[in-house]
Amino acid sequence: MSKLRALTDWVANWGNHLTAALLFSMFVVFVLQILFRYVLGLPVLWTVEWVTIAWLWGILFSFTFVMRTGDMIRLDIVYNAVSLKWQRAMDVVGGLTVAAIFGYTLPHAWDYVTFMGIERTAAFLWPFDVVFAIYIPFHIAIIVRMLLLAVDGFTGANHHLESESSDND
Amino acid sequence: MIDPFAISMILIVVLALFGISVGLAMFSGSMLYLILMDAQFPRGFDPSIGPETMLQGLFNGYTLLAIPLFILAADIMNIGSLADRLLKFCQALVGRFRGGLGQVNVVSSVIFSGMSGSAVADAVGMGKIIIGLMTRDGKYSPAYAAAITAATATVGPIIPPSIPMVLYALVSDQSVGYLFAAGMVPGLLMALMMGFTNYVIARKRDFPTDTEVPLRELPRVTYEAFPALMLPVILLGGIYGGVMTPTEAAAVAAAYALIISTILYRSVSPKAFWDALRGGSRSAGSIGVLIGGSMTFNYVITREDIPNTLAMFLQGFDLSQTGFLIAVNILILLLGCVIEGGAIILIVVPILIPTVQAMGIDLVHFGVIAVVNAMIGLITPPYGLLLFIVSNITEQPIGRVIKEVWPFIIALLLALILITFAPDFVLWFPRLLGYQG
Repeated sequence: MSKLRALTDWVANWGNHLTAALLFSMFVVFVLQILFRYVLGLPVLWTVEWVTIAWLWGILFSFTFVMRTGDMIRLDIVYNAVSLKWQRAMDVVGGLTVAAIFGYTLPHAWDYVTFMGIERTAAFLWPFDVVFAIYIPFHIAIIVRMLLLAVDGFTGANHHLESESSDND
Repeated sequence: MIDPFAISMILIVVLALFGISVGLAMFSGSMLYLILMDAQFPRGFDPSIGPETMLQGLFNGYTLLAIPLFILAADIMNIGSLADRLLKFCQALVGRFRGGLGQVNVVSSVIFSGMSGSAVADAVGMGKIIIGLMTRDGKYSPAYAAAITAATATVGPIIPPSIPMVLYALVSDQSVGYLFAAGMVPGLLMALMMGFTNYVIARKRDFPTDTEVPLRELPRVTYEAFPALMLPVILLGGIYGGVMTPTEAAAVAAAYALIISTILYRSVSPKAFWDALRGGSRSAGSIGVLIGGSMTFNYVITREDIPNTLAMFLQGFDLSQTGFLIAVNILILLLGCVIEGGAIILIVVPILIPTVQAMGIDLVHFGVIAVVNAMIGLITPPYGLLLFIVSNITEQPIGRVIKEVWPFIIALLLALILITFAPDFVLWFPRLLGYQG
């Protein structure tokens, strides 16, 4: 289990470097866009497209590989007020429900993303199934995360630890 | 027959209460709705609509791109010495008055909010430094320092630029530029109210004045803070001069903050900048998931025609504008006690928009009302995000901070009443810039 933990930490760390690079590219490209328009008098299309793709990938990639429970916008007022036993029960029920919903809909998501291959983006002419490809790992990550949540809740494994360490993230 | 809509709404609430992230809870509920509807009406619905709505929404949401860049800009300002210089300027300006550091807190929040669009960024950046100053010699109780910092941080997203206003623009289809402009005067009013509250409390408890900075020092301090002070001018001038869109302004803010922090002040190392990017991309990810989830949720409520149904239902009551606005204020304030501000704007506001239109209320005016409400929600117990942040910084129990924050909440509520019932007061500035409303 600790090896797995080390692996996910490693992935999260490098994934975070990647999302940082994406954010940096958004920033640079936006500045370029302003320069192109006002200094060179050349409005360009590809800048907006790059920035929207970076934003989309940044969010979904971040959720899939980087974010911890503590990073997310949660409503933990009830969760923190109840006893450990209840928390575990909530994790099991919530985790299994969400995992089931997303497990069931995974083929539909796959269908949509692959179907979008028929269209291409306006500037780079990239096929949309490539642009939207990050959605599939995102969808799977939801299932995996929620199953892990349920399993942890069931076994009580690092449950006590989890709530403490998540504050420091 | 089970009603798919009711079941999925219940699921969203239950999951959110179970501590699942709010964005994911909304996404799950919307997916369940699509699954159940697909089972009943196989031709009109398909669960693939969920991913489609989210992907297309994020891909086409140009306005939203301002959000990660405003987050980045605020992070850069917070790691550099920019905040320090601004504080010195504010200290020289208002430190001489009774409860001086409290007033410094208010004024610095106003200036910082002209650069950042987030209340949280204000509290963790400038807020952290000024809490240190206020509590250093035991001049102010840590709980009071925490409370006033949280309260003044609420001004951040009212004075432009503003991340919540960008979210509101997304759901209401209004111009970000006019929304930003509409926040200007209300934001200053809120700051004024808090300065007054601090003054009254300072007199009652005999808070000290700050070490007086001689007036002849003022030009030097101003000079040192000048590049930082220019940022709001550049941003607002750029947006309203028509030179750049609010989204581009966000990039300019980040670039400007980076340039003055690295070249002029030499206070940001490449590593610190990279760390800001890492942190910024994580925050952008968490708000992005919330936005994505709310997009699927909005699909569901639109499909069920909830907003129009509500508008018709409320019209049946023959409610006056005043009555409606009072009800909405109470509703959002109550929700603000338990839900985060951005989530309220993304979830609740879209349901209300058709009613607002039917009532003849200006949508820009309503945006300011909604955002001010949501920001007050950040400091109302029991679940006020800013309260947690400042109690964390000061290591004070949250109960003690809450006790100190009440006078400020009341001051903000008074400001809210004026903002709600005097639309001309709010719309004066946008109209000056050409808003036809």
